[in-house]
Amino acid sequence: MTIDETLIYRLEHLTRLELRPEEREALKIDLNKILQMVETLEGLDLTGIEPLVYVSGSGAALREDEVWGQVAVSQALENAPDQDGTYFLAPKVIDLKK
Amino acid sequence: MPYDRYETVIGLEVHLQLATESKAFCGDDTTFGMPPNTQVSPISLGHPGTLPRLNARQVEFAVKLAYALNSRVNPVNTFDRKNYFYADLPKGYQITQDKQPICVGGELPVKLGDTWKPIRIHHVHMEEDAGKSIHNLHPRKSLIDLNRAGTPLLEIVTQPDLRSAEEADAFMTGIRQLARYLEISDGNMEEGSLRCDVNVSVRLKGATTLGERCEIKNLNSMRYARQAVEYEVKRQIDLIEAGGKVEQQTLNFDPATGATSPLREKEDAHDYRYFPEPDLPPVVLSPEYLEEVRQELPPLPWEVYAHLTGDNGLSGYDASILFEERETVLLFEAISPYCANKKGIANLLINRLIPYCQEQKIPLDRFPVSPEHLGAFILLIDSGKVSSSIAYQRLFPAMIESPGSSPEALATSLNLLQQGDDDFLADLVHQVIGAYPDKVNEYQKGKKGLMGFFMGELMKRSKGKADPAKATQMLSEALKS
Repeated sequence: MTIDETLIYRLEHLTRLELRPEEREALKIDLNKILQMVETLEGLDLTGIEPLVYVSGSGAALREDEVWGQVAVSQALENAPDQDGTYFLAPKVIDLKK
Repeated sequence: MPYDRYETVIGLEVHLQLATESKAFCGDDTTFGMPPNTQVSPISLGHPGTLPRLNARQVEFAVKLAYALNSRVNPVNTFDRKNYFYADLPKGYQITQDKQPICVGGELPVKLGDTWKPIRIHHVHMEEDAGKSIHNLHPRKSLIDLNRAGTPLLEIVTQPDLRSAEEADAFMTGIRQLARYLEISDGNMEEGSLRCDVNVSVRLKGATTLGERCEIKNLNSMRYARQAVEYEVKRQIDLIEAGGKVEQQTLNFDPATGATSPLREKEDAHDYRYFPEPDLPPVVLSPEYLEEVRQELPPLPWEVYAHLTGDNGLSGYDASILFEERETVLLFEAISPYCANKKGIANLLINRLIPYCQEQKIPLDRFPVSPEHLGAFILLIDSGKVSSSIAYQRLFPAMIESPGSSPEALATSLNLLQQGDDDFLADLVHQVIGAYPDKVNEYQKGKKGLMGFFMGELMKRSKGKADPAKATQMLSEALKS
């Protein structure tokens, strides 16, 4: 896999980030380095070895089904870039005229 | 007709909202219908630095469903992140199970008329719901309510075993019923507790490979699901017949037009970039725990149905009404020890108790009269002590008024007992014969049709309490002489 302009644009879209041209160049170099490292790792013979996903080694501690820790509407909305006191407001993502 | 040459193939992805008190990964209240954004916390709002903690009851409910569906439970199952951007998904990803779902395989027996068809289950996994977007209240903005964000769901994915909209409908009915038997969800489609995505394809009858499928998203009523499937089947067949090819795509169903249309989505939108959820260690289920949950399983709908039609000798019609809701079956079982007439119990439930409770809008288990008294009520009719019409018209309402009294005591105090004793009847026969000497004469000359008249007179004088069979016998004896 090679990191080219097209892939960078696609990643930008997926992460909803907009990069400046110089950032794009720097990222291209970084990502290529990361890929090279992964390729090195892929050279290892891992037959019969389970992928290591979780390092703690223990199972999840489950929570009792109890209601706790809710915050008030005013607190919930406090950090929102746009709100009306009841709802979070987001740019309209659906075209109702259709 | 080209349509007859094709077969419809349907697979379902059913979303079941679980009846827990709190959310999947935090303590927010899950009660339906509360004011917007009042059931939220830093965790459900996706604030940085917060960590999810799994609700034990979600796991228990999933295991229950797994055993009911005869699935294999994964004793170690894991969570993954499904990444996408949408305003009602605050974290930017949904916590779901992709690689190691909690249950794999199994089947749901689905009732189609008088037969049962096993529909294979691909897997069942745990996940969380998104919030709600409201698009039509503001001219330029979408309003976001996060009360639902993080509500625990089970997604049940079937194999493509369904062959018509009717079968899909029957599957949804069956899953709803099972969820209610297991008490893991109310299965309420109007409130969105039960929704489905439908995968539809068509193929020539006899073909062994599957056609290209389309997925219709988020159907929250069975009527819409049926309409959507019917529309989509016709669209796909027309397309193929016209020489075209069905393309795999995601569709929206518009109830207003009854048509499906492609969801406006960029190709990238489907790149969910699943990866293991680092904030949640694997769920490890011990054999003891699994056995404990398994022991709690109630009798399942298809077992109950077999029990009603088998041991209890009920008709398929009666059984299919009784087994619909578990509380009806429980009441049936509760009355059974007091009354051997199972058909009588079924009739009482179907004709009186269920309609009464629906009218009064109370659940069946809140019906005021005890199972013991209900059984005694049926026995009173069966033994001829109270006539069936009087029992239903007068005794039944009286029992509801005074649920503490036994039906026999009530019948006595209201003077409703049929009089079968010989003296009482002999006296009535004597009265009737004495009152109409002319008619007796005519009867004895051969006008046997007058029997009805004599009986009518006798019943009138007994105020409906005479046992008709016995009275007829005594009357005809008396008239012979």
